[in-house]
Amino acid sequence: MFTSILIANRGEIAVRIIRAARELGIRTIAVYSEADRLAPHVLAADEAYLIGPAPSAESYLRGDRIVDVALRAGADAIHPGYGFLAERAPFIRQVRDAGLVFVGPSAEAVEAMGDKTAARRRMIAAGVPVVPGTSDPLADAAEARQAAEEIGYPVLLKAAAGGGGKGMRIVQSSAEIESAFGSAGREAKSAFGDDAVYVEKYLAGPRHLEIQILADRAGTTVHLGERECSIQRRHQKLVEEAPSAVLTADERFAMGATAVAAGRAVQYEGAGTVEFLYQHGAFYFLEMNTRIQVEHPVTELVTGIDLVQWQIRIAAGEALNFAQTDVSFRGHAIECRITSEDPANSFLPSAGRIEWLEIPSGAGVRWDGGIARGYEIGLHYDPMLAKVIVHAPSRELAIDRMRRALTELRVVGVETSAPFHLRVMEEADFRAGKLDILYLDRHGDELTDFEPSDEELRVVALATVLLEEERRARRSITRIDHGDALGSGWSGRGGWTGR
Amino acid sequence: MRYYVTVAGRTVEVEISGDAIVVDGTPIEAALLTVPGTDLRHLMIGTESHPLLVRTGGRNGTWHVTLNGRTLLVEAIDERSRTIREMSGAPTTDAEKVVVAPMPGLIVRVEVEVGAAVTMGQGLIVVEAMKMENELKAPADGIVKKIEVAAGSAVEKGAVLVVLE
Repeated sequence: MFTSILIANRGEIAVRIIRAARELGIRTIAVYSEADRLAPHVLAADEAYLIGPAPSAESYLRGDRIVDVALRAGADAIHPGYGFLAERAPFIRQVRDAGLVFVGPSAEAVEAMGDKTAARRRMIAAGVPVVPGTSDPLADAAEARQAAEEIGYPVLLKAAAGGGGKGMRIVQSSAEIESAFGSAGREAKSAFGDDAVYVEKYLAGPRHLEIQILADRAGTTVHLGERECSIQRRHQKLVEEAPSAVLTADERFAMGATAVAAGRAVQYEGAGTVEFLYQHGAFYFLEMNTRIQVEHPVTELVTGIDLVQWQIRIAAGEALNFAQTDVSFRGHAIECRITSEDPANSFLPSAGRIEWLEIPSGAGVRWDGGIARGYEIGLHYDPMLAKVIVHAPSRELAIDRMRRALTELRVVGVETSAPFHLRVMEEADFRAGKLDILYLDRHGDELTDFEPSDEELRVVALATVLLEEERRARRSITRIDHGDALGSGWSGRGGWTGR
Repeated sequence: MRYYVTVAGRTVEVEISGDAIVVDGTPIEAALLTVPGTDLRHLMIGTESHPLLVRTGGRNGTWHVTLNGRTLLVEAIDERSRTIREMSGAPTTDAEKVVVAPMPGLIVRVEVEVGAAVTMGQGLIVVEAMKMENELKAPADGIVKKIEVAAGSAVEKGAVLVVLE
């Protein structure tokens, strides 16, 4: 096993990896930008190194500096987390050329799956079902139009280098294709440095299901069941759960076997996720994510398997000590991604200082967070602040538990997505398991209308009047005391009853 | 003392005199305490328990109150101040239809022209921040009176982008 590991990331996932490594008895080394000197991942680590200014291109994306730090700090391995350098093959080579271990798959596997069109061809060859579409990037809007007409509208334009919904556009008709091609390319260019876009058939209302796989160096590959991630906004997942409310055991077995085959086709090593679109019992390969995913905890909770620890153990050369038949599923888990986005205002990013934070806890609740009170939320990084994850014996109980956990969460200083998540937990179709990737298009308005109820109105009005009375009372006492400190019996922060 | 409290465009009347509190005509008992050493307030209405977080707003009488995960901007003015405001002709509520930048970012596209009639919810401007394009929508029906930015300009948080009338 390693003695020390460098975590090339920030936020909640850096904290998560530090926790996993510490439990394995490994010394943890954090890196940070100038904006993150006091960030939770720096405070949590055994050692921390400054790697550059706030913009990620000058810090968390500087693979050269990160490898230098790893060598200087005497790290054995580098864990990339997700995002940033996690799926950049040149970085993986840089790490390995420096004599360090990259916690993740080979550069070749990342390349094979990272180029979405090449991945499609490879999956077709491996017998994995795929959605109809082009296998090559489109040269221009005219070619996009031609391909779209062959496949039939609606189509989906997707960044070849992409993921996470950036550089992706649904196109309903030929009238929209030119502007969609332009904006998808621009967004892809700014997010990934590559404007290549391809097109595929857009399915009417599929579910997004994905299979977690785990593979050791000897090639033993198992799957750990599915996660349902159909609730998405602009292809960004907002709520994830395991198991799916609809998948039968036979379907799970078939999808699992397909995901294992997909992994084997690229000699995959470590933790990976094979994403599928699922509609009417049929499933199509979407892409493979060659890294740990944001939503990994729901799988951990229902299988009892620590994915991040297994990533590290596999990278250190350990073999899986269990077989497919040993994997069983217990209960139901749900995750809500709490972001600094305002659901009442089209999910616009919200920046500011976390002035107050109360974290949900109690039975069956897990908080994977990267924020703390006093921490400044800027606009340099992803808006995800933390994840609330719950585990309960059934889906219904898990929903009720999430609802309870979300009412315990209190954040002041930035707007968060939490009120939206609370609405989802109460929405009838979600509770009935009626989900597909258009869920938010259907329910977005009701889930983001935060008109205060009469009850809330009354509470807020009353509180405000009592605050005003308190302020006036304090001011008049200050006046009597000739502007001295507040009078005795009146403390600025002390209790005061509105009589 | 009678207060008019405005939240999200609705107004509640609260009358407070000595121990008596009357909300929209209904007498109630209430107490507001501070949890020592914290920003957490606790409002007890009769026996109903309501934890709240509060911060003072930009001007007198305004407060940011966080309840059920949402932060609401609330304004409480007393009867006398309200009368003065009405006589001076100042608007009693924020009637301006101004679209401001909710965060620093880059203007990608302006989707309307001066003089155009827009309906509530219609897209006006696309701003890029955190590597995502965000469409800012009209807060109400109106006519575009002024556009203060063009595609390609960088804007600070709070910058006025579009004025509707």
